Amino acid sequence: MQLITLKGRRIVEGYCKAEALVSLKPISFLGGVDPADGKIIEKGHDLCGECVKGKVLCFPHGHGSTVGSYVLYSLAKKSLAPKAIVNKTADPVVVVGAIIAEIPMIDKIDIKQIRTGDMVEVNADQGFVKILQRKES
Amino acid sequence: MHLTREEERVYDGECGWASKICMKILVRLGELFDAEKLIPISSAHASGVSYKTLGDAPTEFLQALADADGKAKVEATTNPQSFDMGYLSKRFDKEVREKQLKVLDQFERMGFTQSLTCTPYYLKTPEKGAHLAWAESSAVVYANSVLGAWTNREGGPSALASAIVGKTPEYGMHKAKNREPKVLVKLETLLENETEYGALGILLGKILEDKIPVIQGLENASKDDLKQLGAALASTGMTNMFYTENVAEKTGEFEKISIEHKDIKKTIEDLSTASNAKADLVFIGCPHCSLDEIKHVADLIGDRKVRDGTELWVCTSRCVRAKAVESVKRIEHSGSHVITDTCAVVTWTDRLGIKTIMTNSAKTAHYAPTLNRAETIIAPMKNCLEPALKG
Repeated sequence: MQLITLKGRRIVEGYCKAEALVSLKPISFLGGVDPADGKIIEKGHDLCGECVKGKVLCFPHGHGSTVGSYVLYSLAKKSLAPKAIVNKTADPVVVVGAIIAEIPMIDKIDIKQIRTGDMVEVNADQGFVKILQRKES
Repeated sequence: MHLTREEERVYDGECGWASKICMKILVRLGELFDAEKLIPISSAHASGVSYKTLGDAPTEFLQALADADGKAKVEATTNPQSFDMGYLSKRFDKEVREKQLKVLDQFERMGFTQSLTCTPYYLKTPEKGAHLAWAESSAVVYANSVLGAWTNREGGPSALASAIVGKTPEYGMHKAKNREPKVLVKLETLLENETEYGALGILLGKILEDKIPVIQGLENASKDDLKQLGAALASTGMTNMFYTENVAEKTGEFEKISIEHKDIKKTIEDLSTASNAKADLVFIGCPHCSLDEIKHVADLIGDRKVRDGTELWVCTSRCVRAKAVESVKRIEHSGSHVITDTCAVVTWTDRLGIKTIMTNSAKTAHYAPTLNRAETIIAPMKNCLEPALKG
């Protein structure tokens, strides 16, 4: 398979390799993610019931209350945070959350190219996401 | 973004973790909105204080900042919490009281004034043209439109970061070109009371998105009417400012909108959701009452007493309450409560068994069905007080 590299913009530096969890819907961290276990709890969300822990969490952008930033911090303190965040368009709630929780973050990525279960490399310092291995379908 | 040498030192952590993380927040947000530099602010006002809206997640971060000696560099104030220290605090259980007080402790350790109000401008009015980092949306609109100060609508974390760094990224409302009006709103009707001004705000918020209007027909509006208008405007839209006609420079082409009496009437009807006309709680003070409003409430109540089975709350800040000693005495003599530090929206009215809230505030009427799980009746102050009082 040919490796696909997607270029974006560094928001918070860092590097990781992990499995992708991809949503095409915005995520509200306040009310949308349970800070106790890292599961997405927003009704009707395409990732409802999925856990963000250890994943490269890909979604278009955040929405909702600015308290959502603190939820990301709280998740990180409990080791329940995603390993990296990949957005189409960064928004203040998620940016602040990623900074205080020290989660590598990139935006301006065409997240439709990434599928849940793909193994991806996130190099936030250099601003790219590489799809290392497609999930076997 | 261009940083000064001093700012770079903070960014690199030479001044400790607290200011480093706060600087990083401001720089990244600045980059996001294409700011070229940071500018000094005269004050910061933090939201995210009420435990009801915060929950448990933020306490750890606030504590980490305070532990790392995070200190406000500029005048910094706090939004309301979820109860007052007197009447309401006794009505909630110990666990939530302690959790709320823990949040307040962290702000206090960081040097914030415990203003606990959505109207920090009554504590200290910012100067015209001053740059601020304020987070309470109603105060943001009031500051930009009525006081002539310059502030974006900050979130809780960014206002906190600005307080600790003493600066904000220069974008949005901090740039003159972004403060130009884009829409001309023509009021075809004379608004008669604060509730109608609030309804106008609710309506315009939905139409304008984030565009700044010039509103013609506000000549008779008091500052308290404009406070209602702005608070409602911010509840339904992203507009951070409006002009009253006499201050607007008429340049360029305007998009035009006409508002008629029937539009205001329909908005008020939609804001009242209650199926029965009887309220458990009559609530005045969203946003927190000014000195004039407190006096007005006292005059309207006169010597009458509150009816059994009804609660009457008049919410304000500690600083206004302290200035209104005589009026407060008269209001409390009636059996109503002059409550500081909180309001009906940020406290747990549902846990107090309150199912229907009557208010003169369009902002409260807009939020109470979801944030308080309460039905609403909206009416001007005078009409709110009547059914709550005997005689």
